[in-house]
Amino acid sequence: MASVDDLRGPGAGIELEAEGAAERGLLGRFFLACPPLVLFGLAWIALMLVVAVFADALAPYEYTAMDLRARLSPPVFMGGAWAHPLGTDELGRDVLSRLIVSIRISLLIAFAGTFISAFIGVVLGFLAAHFRGWVEHAVLTLIDFQASMPFMIMALAVLAFFGNTLALFVCLMGFYGWERAARIARGLTIAANQQGYAGAVRNIGASPFRVYVLHVLPNIASTLIVSITLTFPELILLESGLSFLGLGVQPPMTSLGNMVGYGRDYLQSAPWTLLSPSVVIVLTTFSISMVGDWLRDRLDPTLQ
Amino acid sequence: MSALLEVQDLARHFAVRLPGGLLGRPGRLRAVDGVSFSLAPGRTLGIVGESGCGKSTTARLVLGLEQATAGIVRFEGRPVPARRNADWRALRRRMQMVYQDPLGALDRRLPALSQVAEPLAVFGIGTRAERRERAAALLASVGLTPRLQGRYPHELSGGQRQRVVLARALVLEPALLVCDEPTSALDVSIQAQVINLLTDLQAEFGVALLIISHDLKVVRQVSHEVAVMYLGRIVEQGEPEALFRAPAHPYTKALVSAIPSPWRSEGAQRILLEGDPPNPIQVPAGCAFHPRCPWAMPVCASERPALTEIGGGRRAACHLLTPAASAAA
Amino acid sequence: MLHFLALRAFRALVTIFLVLSFAFVILRLSGDPALLILSPEAPPEAIEAFRKGWGLDAPLWKQYLGYFINLAEGNFGQSMRDGRSAIALVAERIPATLAITLPAFVLKLAIGVPAGIYAALHRNSLADRLVMSFSVAGYTMPSFVLGLVLVLVFSVNLGWLPSGGYGDDGSIDLQNAILPVVTLGLGGAAILARFTRSAMLEVLGQPYIRTASAKGLVWRRVVSAHALPNAAIPTVTVVGFMVGSLIAGAVVVESVFSWPGAGRLLVSAVANRDLAVVQCILLLVAATMIASNLTVDALYSWLDPRLRSLRAVKAGA
Repeated sequence: MASVDDLRGPGAGIELEAEGAAERGLLGRFFLACPPLVLFGLAWIALMLVVAVFADALAPYEYTAMDLRARLSPPVFMGGAWAHPLGTDELGRDVLSRLIVSIRISLLIAFAGTFISAFIGVVLGFLAAHFRGWVEHAVLTLIDFQASMPFMIMALAVLAFFGNTLALFVCLMGFYGWERAARIARGLTIAANQQGYAGAVRNIGASPFRVYVLHVLPNIASTLIVSITLTFPELILLESGLSFLGLGVQPPMTSLGNMVGYGRDYLQSAPWTLLSPSVVIVLTTFSISMVGDWLRDRLDPTLQ
Repeated sequence: MSALLEVQDLARHFAVRLPGGLLGRPGRLRAVDGVSFSLAPGRTLGIVGESGCGKSTTARLVLGLEQATAGIVRFEGRPVPARRNADWRALRRRMQMVYQDPLGALDRRLPALSQVAEPLAVFGIGTRAERRERAAALLASVGLTPRLQGRYPHELSGGQRQRVVLARALVLEPALLVCDEPTSALDVSIQAQVINLLTDLQAEFGVALLIISHDLKVVRQVSHEVAVMYLGRIVEQGEPEALFRAPAHPYTKALVSAIPSPWRSEGAQRILLEGDPPNPIQVPAGCAFHPRCPWAMPVCASERPALTEIGGGRRAACHLLTPAASAAA
Repeated sequence: MLHFLALRAFRALVTIFLVLSFAFVILRLSGDPALLILSPEAPPEAIEAFRKGWGLDAPLWKQYLGYFINLAEGNFGQSMRDGRSAIALVAERIPATLAITLPAFVLKLAIGVPAGIYAALHRNSLADRLVMSFSVAGYTMPSFVLGLVLVLVFSVNLGWLPSGGYGDDGSIDLQNAILPVVTLGLGGAAILARFTRSAMLEVLGQPYIRTASAKGLVWRRVVSAHALPNAAIPTVTVVGFMVGSLIAGAVVVESVFSWPGAGRLLVSAVANRDLAVVQCILLLVAATMIASNLTVDALYSWLDPRLRSLRAVKAGA
């Protein structure tokens, strides 16, 4: 049965767009789609991922190896030797090696934390949207509670009471930002259940698992990813802040914030020990935010 | 012929809070208030009424998507469960729904073919290849060429989307299809196609249809029987031709007279309804329609008319049509 | 309206209750404070005495009840380290914290809001791009990095300002406060500018703004009478959060500048696991946050009468 609406191909709109783009030129179109800062951000994130994955191979020294004869030696760009391109710290440990390992640890904690927080948020959001009633009220109250307390203070309280181990610290980071994912998951799921595809699939007779995991999750994924690009850099900042205070990652392990914290005492005499980790923190959070903003514009214009 | 679907004294009330914040009195919204009808296999019942008359709630009650406050829905002789248990799920193979907004009812991340194959996967019918084959065959029979079957919902037109929704509902070969405003989101030119498709599919699959619509045209074209609802109750019921040619209930008269028609005789007046639009929270006592009825009598304000036979297989609920009440007035 | 505020107040109570229970549960789950404080090698009698002294030998529900009774009486416990009253310890640090957070708050508002509005009104101009670049830099740079950079430039290299600490005689010294205030203020201003800008842009895109300018209103009047009040609504939320974190928001910055405020007290209490002090600060922060949240809710309904009924419906749903 051929109908009138079959005649209107979906390609028509795309061709119109392509014409406009041709006028701007290929290069212009590329830069419009991917501004230089976003490109830089993507490149930096890729570099950080490579560093994190191949940290062992890339680090010239063991990150705990001390060279007491070369304590506080300056980096190459401040007249130092190539043996320690970014200089050494107060115990003669190679800053570059420590930086590389720190990148791995900090990214790992941020990744794990982001994943846990997204998981908690999505599960609670689904539960609230599925059961409504008192379950939803309980979740909303928890969201209110989490959103109304500065997370740093809560984290400090937990650390005070439980002491600090890496596993606990990672779990604690996983409680950051779950309320954002939960809000998104709940809101979109309620909409999908009430008059959307999720309600339709449920009415076909599909199990809740099928509805939420196979249908709702892929549909809200783009919005969730955008919210993750907000959580991830904030987690890096939080982790480095706590480690800076000496309450996060504990020595002999190292992280970016930890390096800045211990380098602070040498701000005057050996600023390079804290300069490179600071630069890495700023560039990484900056890059993720840039890429996140760009993703937000492309994937989900409704989320600001 | 025994009925496929039997609905008896079905009611659905909602607890609501009347305006006034914390001080507001709790109220009762009578969305559906004592509705009875039955539907034979392979036949079509159309339910018409204004928005807010309870027709969509009736549809949801029939499918067991909502818990009835009172009354019972029997499907193939057994009550329809309103909780989502194993029985309820098993019943989905026999009764399915078609939605008003096809774009919203489809998962926009799946191509048409996968959407139609999904119900089979939900019930574990056949292998993956067999499911896709069945889905493709069904999509072809609703008029979607193989080229269109791989497309995503947003790449299809409104009419094509509704065809996908229809195919998805039919793929389990249900005995009953409940269509809630199946055409109101579509362009007028495409409405006719979908209506024709519905009747074709009924002939092909022998499925019974319950069509919910505010559009008299649609209901008239597809239905074997029509029920007119007003404020949660059926006020008139009968065969479409007779009912629309000579409406008995004043409300039906008003509805029918509002259809623009080039054949309307010069003498026929349009009946303009007066008074407030119906509010299901404050249903008037007696006949719910009496405040707006041009022929209202004193008895209409006090006694609620029952739905009674008025001859010719038709039923209506109006005091004007029952001799005793008319005589008393 | 009443319904709405009553509901918010109820939620606030629930939140306070949750914070209190959170503190209690963690306190009790964290193992035996006696062993933590006294070290496991301490003589058993000493540990027993410590337990009795802190009420740790009572059944858990009794401790829970006693905990609430104590709080109701204003008794927040004593510092487990030096035995002084926790609330007194915290109270004597609050003025120092407020001495930098209050000026920083003013700085945030004074820079962030006008910059955001200006950027939104001159969208895509050079000024807008500058504001946005600074804003992104501001919120992607952790406060300790910003603080250390400022120290490096203004005290190590230029020698204009001290790198930290309180005044010599314990009084609040203006010179010492400048860098912490600037550090806190710039970071917050960046966030506020970004928020104000996007709120303004959102409002400026609304049909009623186009209507207002189409019907011939002077643009200045459109902005001041229609755009600003509406853009204020989301901004107020952020500002409210900033008010709420007046006490808690300077933890890192106080550490960077060795500023003897409540934040540093918290950090050292956490490091020493001085539970009473941590709990006291936690409750104080919670109370401030909740009070400012309630104020924001009240302001909301004042700024936007539509919300009065609407939010009640939403919150109730």
